[in-house]
Formats: sequence, structure tokens, C-alpha cells
Amino acid sequence: MSSDHHPAVMRGSGRPASPYWNPYLAGIGLGLVLLAAFVLVGRGLGASGAFSSTVAWLVNLVAPAHAQSNEYLQGYLGDGTTHPLKAWLVFEVLGVMAGALFSALLAGRARIAVEKGPRVSTVLRLLCAFAGGILMAFGAHLARGCTSGQALTGGALLNVGSWAFMLMVFVGGYSVAWFMRWQWR
Amino acid sequence: MAPFYKYGFFGDEMSLILAFVLGTGFGFFLERAGFGSARKLAAQFYLYDMSVFKVMFTAIVTAMLGVTYLGWLGWLDLSLVYLVPTHLVPQIVGGLVLGVGFVVGGYCPGTSVASLATGRIDGFVYAFGIGAGTLVYAEVYPWIKGFVNSNGMGQVTLPEVFDLPWGLVVFAVVLIAVAGFSAATLVERRFGDEA
Amino acid sequence: MKLPALTTNQKLATVAVVLGALALFSVPHRGPVVTLDTRELALIVDKEVDHVTPSELAAWIVQGRSDYRLIDLRAESDYAAYHIPTAENVTVAALPEFPFLRTEKIVLYSDGGIHAAQAWMLMQAQGYRAVYTVLGGLEGWKDDVLYPALPAQASGVERARFERAAALSRFFGGEPRAEGGTVAPLPMGLPKLAAPVSSGAVSPVAPRKKKKEGC
Repeated sequence: MSSDHHPAVMRGSGRPASPYWNPYLAGIGLGLVLLAAFVLVGRGLGASGAFSSTVAWLVNLVAPAHAQSNEYLQGYLGDGTTHPLKAWLVFEVLGVMAGALFSALLAGRARIAVEKGPRVSTVLRLLCAFAGGILMAFGAHLARGCTSGQALTGGALLNVGSWAFMLMVFVGGYSVAWFMRWQWR
Repeated sequence: MAPFYKYGFFGDEMSLILAFVLGTGFGFFLERAGFGSARKLAAQFYLYDMSVFKVMFTAIVTAMLGVTYLGWLGWLDLSLVYLVPTHLVPQIVGGLVLGVGFVVGGYCPGTSVASLATGRIDGFVYAFGIGAGTLVYAEVYPWIKGFVNSNGMGQVTLPEVFDLPWGLVVFAVVLIAVAGFSAATLVERRFGDEA
Repeated sequence: MKLPALTTNQKLATVAVVLGALALFSVPHRGPVVTLDTRELALIVDKEVDHVTPSELAAWIVQGRSDYRLIDLRAESDYAAYHIPTAENVTVAALPEFPFLRTEKIVLYSDGGIHAAQAWMLMQAQGYRAVYTVLGGLEGWKDDVLYPALPAQASGVERARFERAAALSRFFGGEPRAEGGTVAPLPMGLPKLAAPVSSGAVSPVAPRKKKKEGC
């Protein structure tokens, strides 16, 4: 029914990309991975923390004094005995890259492209992506987690803050969606 | 008895290897669902494709039922599974900001990683934006620290706050999810042909 | 073409609802009679994962960590005279009724280690799993944190460690003892109860642990 189950033909190869999975099956797969994380390591999945570790590490490379005097970055640098990138979420996010690439290659969906609607220029779309990323970083830090770390993980554990957060993500998204529709359709 | 890591069945190094393996599964299913594409993700907010809602809630219900049953069997100690502390007001504000960022940029952190790994330039730029935002956040953190840490409720779950049995809340969430899925499918039918 | 896909979804939904309904019965009533997994407990005791050393605890307090609750099990009068900063007073008798959350990390201490260890077992019996005791109790806190001693003929490493311990000691109002202890021997008085509140500016130790677990 919805056209998105038949994504665009892979550029250059002519091989049509496979349709996406039934969302419920993908969801069950995702849920089982999350459950495995609970059982094996006693924590859920995440993503934004890996960005924080990476940023802390980069700042520490460029301006060590500044990084160590910054209360927030310091938290991700630790006491210097372990490398800042030797963090659980960093490894997890590397895995996300590998898993996503594997799936995309299998389905013929891996290609260099910009995801956008037909009515928006590439430059504008990329500017929006950048701005969205900045907002996302603020939101995720205020909320102590992003859609993976808070909504997904905390949702499954019936965490109070996570459910409040999840609800507000949809409220926030729907409230500005109308003004951003030129980007997508 | 699980969680295995917290009972000391394996060490830090092994936990990092597991992080990679679990991440691989996470990324695989994200991409399978189509979440490497900003258009597919943003469609959630234009009501013609509710996959984000469906995938997310299916995953939540699956994992929630999983922990419930494993806990019931006495195999998983839920008190050792890390729970992000609740700070209601900052989390509500954070959720709003994040929702706006989601629609403006088209991704969330996890999905942007999946998209940049599959060659999407916008996903890469988005991830770069998250990095820049983190940098700015780190600079302003001293000024907003008080707000971020306000309203602390500790690690609390819905059954505790509303004083309901865990099982009842689980059942309610399942019912709401299933009803939501039917509603979402109806909504998709209504808005799906508008394009 | 649509129909079979829909049936899969309906089947999945049915399974979810049935599992959800069964989950209604999932939390068994916890009576006063409990069964303990003795082997698991023995493993925990054997592996000593139920301990927090006084220095670890001190570092947590300095960092202002709030992901645990520190419980002083002694009598109220003792608590009033001195307690480890940030501790709450819950006597052993009051422990079973105290409204802890099962998701909370609970750190117990008493004068020595015995009361805390017994209370630890009580908590285990009630199904609290994230319970820890302060190694050596308040005595350990005095020896390791408040009045750390520098051994005679200390090596460079020991000296460096002592410097850090000394800073921590002063932070908590104690007094480090260098070279054979020119200060009065133990047992010594406890510092007056001017509980230092952790504030980032004066923290004598850098935060040791990385931010963890959250997204």
C-alpha cells in the first residue's frame, strides 16, 4: 500500500532494492537484541553516548587542557587510565555501522545518496540535517538519552522518565512536522 | 542468573566484544526496517508510513515481555539492569527538543549511524551535527547543569509510581500497543494515497 | 497479497496479547517466607562483589554520585554523633519495612562489618539484589579514609597513593598520619559533623569512573 515498501532502484546497478521488512518482524528482531543486551550485560542499547565519547576524545586531542577543565567532557574522559573510546557504547555503535551496512548490502540498498524529497535542494537538506543533529544532541543530553537509550531501552523496562520522554518526542515531532513538509514530499 | 556481566561471568573486554555483536544486531534490524532512510523515518510524522511507531513499540513489547518472563522464571534480576534515573521536567523538555530535531534532520542518533554506514550523506552530516551539538552542550553545561539535574526521582518504574502490579502495566502496554498498531494501519490507509 | 501478511500480523498480535495477559500473574506475592539461592549467595560472598571499599565510597561521595543510597545501620544517637556524609539512618530493626526500591543500589555500613553483613543477608532474603556493604564498616572508613597511615619505608608508589588518600582524608575532616603516626593512635575521635558537601571546585580527586550506561 505505502510506496515506501518499494524503494528506488539502486543507482548504477539496475538491480531493484529489496523491500523493507514487515515492521513487526523487524521490531521483534530489535526487541530480542535489546533483551539479549539486558540478559548479557544488564544494560540496554544506546547511541548518543558514543557521540559524547568521540567528541570528548577529539577535544582532548586538540585542546587537552580545555577538555579536562570541562566538567561535561571530563565525565567521558574518565581518569585517563582507559582510552575514552574504549567505551561500551562506542563499540556498540561500531557494531551498528557493521550491521546496517551488512543488511543494506544484502538488500541492495547501500549507495551514496542524500535522502530528501523532490522539492528541496541538496544543500538545504544537508543544512537541515546539520541543524537537526544539533537539536538532537541537546535533546538527548537534556533527556539523558536518545530514542535508543531512553525510549527503546527505558520503554521496555517501564522507566517513568522514558515514557514521558517518548510521548514528548512524538509531540515535538508532530508539532513542527507541518512546517518541515517541503523537505520530504 | 542474568545479567551475566553483573554477576561477573565475564569481564570488561568480553563486554566490549558483546557490545559490538549486539550493535551489529541492532544495526541490522534498524536497516531491515528501513530506518537507514530519513524519508522512511520522517514519514512517521506525515502519517503515511507509521513504521517508526510500529517497529519501536513492537521492540518495546518484545523486550518488555522478555524481561517479565525471565524475571518470573527467576533467571533475570531486573534490579541489576541499569535504569536511567528519571528527571521528569528536563526529560520532557529534552523529548520535545529531540522530536523537533528528528523532524528537522530526519534521524535520531542510532538511525543516523545506520544511514551513514549505508552511504547516506545526510546521515553523515546529521551525525556531524550531533557532534557539534555535543560540543556546544559541553560548553554551556555549567549554566544548565542545575536544570538538567532538577526534578530527580531516582530510578523509578511506572508500576512503582502508580503503585500497580508490574504484570498489569505490562498487559496494559501490550493492549495499547496492539490497539495502536491497528489505529496506525488505518491512519496509513487514510494518508497513504495523498502523496 | 495483502491478506496473508495481515494474518501474520494478527497472529503476532494475538501472541502478544496472550503473553501480556499471562504476565498479569507474573509477580508472585512475596511473603515473609523466602527461598534463597544459597549457591548464588555463596558465589557472591566468595567473589567479594558485595563489598565497597571505604576509598571507593569516599570517591563516590566526592564525585557527588547519586546512583546509590548509603545506609547507616547504627542507633540514632551514634548516627547523630557522626556518620559518613550523605548517609541515611535506618536501623537493622527498621530495615525490613524501609521502602527501598528494588532497582536501587544500596550500600550498608555499621560500626564493624557484622551488622552490615547480617543486614545484607536480610536484604538478599527480601529479594534486593543490588546490596553492598562497606568493607570494615565505620572502622574501615576511619582507617582508610579519615586517618590513612603512611607505612615506614614507603615506596614511591605507596607515597603517591598516600598523597591522594591524604587529600581525601582532609576533605572529610580527617587527619592523615605520616611516618609511624605521630598523631594519637587509634581509636581516635571522629571529626565533628561538618559534613563536607561535594562540590566540583574543591574535589581532591578527579572523577574516576566514566559516565556510564546511559545512552
